[in-house]
Amino acid sequence: MKATLKNEIIKRLVEANGEPISGQQLADEFGISRTAIWKHMKQLQEKGYAFETVKKRGYVLTATPDTVDDANISMALETENFGSRIIYEQSMTSTQAIAHNKAQEGAPEGTVIICEEQTAGRGRMMREWKSMKGKGIWMSVILRPEIAPYEAPQFTLVAAVALTKAIADISGVQPEIKWPNDLLIEGKKCTGILTELQADPDRVNAIIMGMGINVNHQPNDFEEEIKDIATSLKIASGKHIDRATLVAKILYYLEIYSAQYVKEGFEPIKSQWESYSCTIGNRIRATTLQDVFIGKAIGITNDGVLQLQLDDGTIKGIYSADISLEK
Amino acid sequence: MLKIQEIREIIKLVDSSSIDEFVYEVADTKVKLKKHSGVAVVTEAPVVKVAPVAAPAPVAAPAAPVAAPAVAEAVQAAPAVDASLYKITSPMVGTFYQAPNPESPAFVKVGDKVGEEAVVCIVEAMKLFNEIEAEVSGEIVEILVKDGDLVEYGQPLFLVKEN
Repeated sequence: MKATLKNEIIKRLVEANGEPISGQQLADEFGISRTAIWKHMKQLQEKGYAFETVKKRGYVLTATPDTVDDANISMALETENFGSRIIYEQSMTSTQAIAHNKAQEGAPEGTVIICEEQTAGRGRMMREWKSMKGKGIWMSVILRPEIAPYEAPQFTLVAAVALTKAIADISGVQPEIKWPNDLLIEGKKCTGILTELQADPDRVNAIIMGMGINVNHQPNDFEEEIKDIATSLKIASGKHIDRATLVAKILYYLEIYSAQYVKEGFEPIKSQWESYSCTIGNRIRATTLQDVFIGKAIGITNDGVLQLQLDDGTIKGIYSADISLEK
Repeated sequence: MLKIQEIREIIKLVDSSSIDEFVYEVADTKVKLKKHSGVAVVTEAPVVKVAPVAAPAPVAAPAAPVAAPAVAEAVQAAPAVDASLYKITSPMVGTFYQAPNPESPAFVKVGDKVGEEAVVCIVEAMKLFNEIEAEVSGEIVEILVKDGDLVEYGQPLFLVKEN
């Protein structure tokens, strides 16, 4: 596959760490002609990669584009399997919609659908999700764990833990988790996760995990109506974040925690989730389609269900709700 | 008759409990689990295939309820339910949504004809959305739950008159 070969070339140049590699050497290593190598280099330059050609000695990689293209992500990947197939486009309607189709066509576990810009990104209840070009991570990952449908909701908490860890590693800022899986920094949302299932009544075929992460937004990149409730990793950390590196790190943790969940169940991940939670212990308001419940969030069950202690002392299990802190 | 996932769930429960042996017997079905040096052994007596039952066999959940789905109580559905009707049941505990969002029309209404792959509702828990398909083709005769209701694992949601 052409894309993969380009990724390999980039990876090779990164590993060379400034040492020039000649076109002939690349041609020999990849078993193609020097002309073919030259064409690949040309195309990579068009995508934003820059090379210095040291006379008679070869290529040195001097710059990578600020994109989340497959070559950029592959070069930072440290997974066994996740991300071995990456479908990347400049612009997509919704990564989630495309991921659904790919999953139905049999795309393997760990397939990633990612773009620079979504024109019809969506969140819970088909609410619009703003996906500004080149600023964030708008991606969907196809998971195929061997679990029953009733176990699948816990996966959304597993994802929250994986993303929290990846963001902390790369940005240095530790987000908190708002039940079940929004990530907040100083009370403002930086990440939303939307998970959908393709399942038979007793078997999960695919979990389509969509995530939107505000990465390099500046304060005035947010529209008026979400300005006070949204933040980005750049605003929080004060530095520009390489999105491709963050994607690679997310895939790394997703692969680890997904495997751990299938093997050991929710218990080990639950305690991690609790350690990052900003919901537990607080007085909150849970708005469901039919009701509003106010009380103290006292914990989550082994299924991930939020336990809310109402003012009359009764404990209410919350499965689906919009949660907000109650002052 | 127990479903394979129910047996799997029982194995998990027994495995993580201090119980050494677990026997479940009803009609012609017998499931016996015995721990042997930490390994759960499953034996199942020959079972007679039965017609689709009204409600899932209530699983006697032993002590530690680890991630056990709440199994719906034997549902004594509304007066005189035609036993020949197909029940679309919920594969998980969660919130029942009859439409993709509050502003949209319902996926189906009583009297609608559906195909096997028609989406009839969404069940959501912890922001995981599960579009439920009809699994049979026929006509929606009754909707047994309301928009926004919390539904149990195995709870009947729709009655369908099969073609």
